[in-house]
Amino acid sequence: MSDDSTREPADEPTVEPDGGVAASGSRSHRDVDYLDREVNLLRPSTPFMRDHLRIIWTGFAAWALVVFGPVTLTAVAPGVMTTTMPVVGFPLHYFLVAIGAPVGALTLAFWYARKRDALDEEYGINHGTTADGPDGAPEGTATDGGRAE
Amino acid sequence: MTGLLVPLQSGLLPEGLNVSFKLVPAIMVTAMLLLFLAIGYVFKVADTEGMWVGGRSIGNVENGMAIGANWMSAASYLGMAALIALSGFYGLAFIVGWSAGYFILLIFMAAQMRRFGKYTAPDFVGDRFNSDGARAIAAVTTFLIGFVYAIGQARGMGLVGVYIFGDIGIPGLSGYQSMVVAMMAITVGYLTLSGMLGATKNMAVQYVILIVAFLAGLYVVGFTQGYSTVLPQIEYGALISQLGTEFSEPFVNESYYLWIATAFSLVVGTCGLPHVLVRFYTVESERTARWSTVWGLGFILLLYLSAPAFAAFGTDLYAQNIGPVYGDPGMTSAAGDVIVVLAAQLANLPTWFVGLVAAGGIAAAIATTAGLFIAGSSAIAHDIYVNIVNEDATQRQQVLVGRLSIVALGVFTTLAALDPAAPIAALVSYAFSLAGAVLFPMFFLGLWWENTNRQGALAGMTTGLLIWFTPIVNEVLPSYGLFAGAAGADGVIFPALAQWLPAIGSALVAVPVVFAVTIGVSLVTDEPPLETKRMVRQCHSPEPMGQQQTAEDVVGNDGSGGTPADD
Repeated sequence: MSDDSTREPADEPTVEPDGGVAASGSRSHRDVDYLDREVNLLRPSTPFMRDHLRIIWTGFAAWALVVFGPVTLTAVAPGVMTTTMPVVGFPLHYFLVAIGAPVGALTLAFWYARKRDALDEEYGINHGTTADGPDGAPEGTATDGGRAE
Repeated sequence: MTGLLVPLQSGLLPEGLNVSFKLVPAIMVTAMLLLFLAIGYVFKVADTEGMWVGGRSIGNVENGMAIGANWMSAASYLGMAALIALSGFYGLAFIVGWSAGYFILLIFMAAQMRRFGKYTAPDFVGDRFNSDGARAIAAVTTFLIGFVYAIGQARGMGLVGVYIFGDIGIPGLSGYQSMVVAMMAITVGYLTLSGMLGATKNMAVQYVILIVAFLAGLYVVGFTQGYSTVLPQIEYGALISQLGTEFSEPFVNESYYLWIATAFSLVVGTCGLPHVLVRFYTVESERTARWSTVWGLGFILLLYLSAPAFAAFGTDLYAQNIGPVYGDPGMTSAAGDVIVVLAAQLANLPTWFVGLVAAGGIAAAIATTAGLFIAGSSAIAHDIYVNIVNEDATQRQQVLVGRLSIVALGVFTTLAALDPAAPIAALVSYAFSLAGAVLFPMFFLGLWWENTNRQGALAGMTTGLLIWFTPIVNEVLPSYGLFAGAAGADGVIFPALAQWLPAIGSALVAVPVVFAVTIGVSLVTDEPPLETKRMVRQCHSPEPMGQQQTAEDVVGNDGSGGTPADD
């Protein structure tokens, strides 16, 4: 863990000798004192939060469609939505709501956690986790992301 | 919901359920309770950090299981299948609301809450808004949530308990009522003995018990009755066309508006429930907070994708063996609430196996009741008694107040559950509306808009409480005999109000109003102190934090001075 409690408003020498090499996200991250930047959901004040909020809003929009879309369509066009699906035998609306919405939410949750790990990596943030390596990997995919080092 | 409210007052014993004392299931339930106590004893902890937040050391999968066990109450295990069986397509609003809400929790709150790093939900509200008044409202809300939520659990335990132990016949009470009293006495005793000892370890075990019992029940019923083979969660689709239009036809039982209102309330309620949020304080890092939410949702879906299948099988078996499910008389809500157990019994499975399914229901109810009562009693003991009433309270006094509030919660809950006004899932969703209306906007705005201030929070929470209470007075209290004189034939005082502000989905109206009030009042009053703003900023900073640090520690060390204003 870095002793992050000592951060002072950006007067450390910020011109990195290896400047050109580091990712731009990582460099701007080091220049920011997060305790001086406003938190406002609608007005991101740091590059990190702007990127993070872009992921959040994308996910949120997809979530709203997956969760409330099918039932709304069913109210609008009941005839089309209640047709029986081939093979599985479900009425379409029932399937989309009972299975589509929950599984969609899980998929989006997984997507978000991956994206957020990738964002941390881009900004050179290392959570230095110790215990969540082997067991912390849903379906064997998370081990690669986020555990830089 | 009104359609479901009326018939159930008649008889509280589910028809068709074999009520008698059964030795093997009784031994199984007793052994299960002893196991929980033993685990609590083995993993007991001494310090407060360990007591309340498990030393902040819990990993992804374990916390995911704890989220699942904490989450899946009698409402998930029993009530959801009941609503799907009885209310058809409307019942799916519960599946969607209770699972999809975790995504909102994940993207907007889980990691930030972890970084804030306090002990309880009222702690967050009190410290974020620098107000003992806000802390008190949050604590009272937490207590109310515990009470309302637990009524549904007590009803579930009572209904399943009569299957296992039969009518134990406490004088003056019916078989169901006797069992509610007995099961609640056991739960309270169990909690006073075990406290929060090893609660997280216990929750992982409870999750395994309840999911194994539920899935085993589903697979065996589906297989022996010829409904399904390897994937009942999908195979029940073919059965739907035989179950009558009430099972799947959209909006025949309830309107589109009520569907959306219910699902929305359950989503925001998920994000406002104190006993859910505390699970993010227990993990080792914010990254674990995120991934354990994903795991938790996955574990939850194992049950949530299976419940409709169980409901379909149960509905079909009921129709074959007992009588028509829909119409008059139809299946009562008491029978609906045990449809999972009933399905196993009607499939002629051995008694011990039906007992296993029933025991899973009791494990679910006890795990959640424990989490709720701990949250409720810590709100009273920690947030109100120690922070407001008696700041010099000794450990002894605190523990005493905590125990007394657990007993008080137990007594209130038992009384309310003796003649419950609604099916399990409906009772539980009142608590979700409350959490969504009062606590969710505080968490959300408190974390995402640094200018939310004390006055805004107080105004918003008061508004939320008022909006929640209105439909409760309007349609729920008359069923308990309060204001019954003012209610019309359908048990509701103002039917138009009940239509647009239903108790089960009142958060759809409450949340936008509370947001507007909180933002408006915050804008016209002074900004919160810089110290507080820096704390909020720290919650969003991507800089890693120490495992035992809170946002307040980090900000405090920066030494910008000034103490938070007092109320």
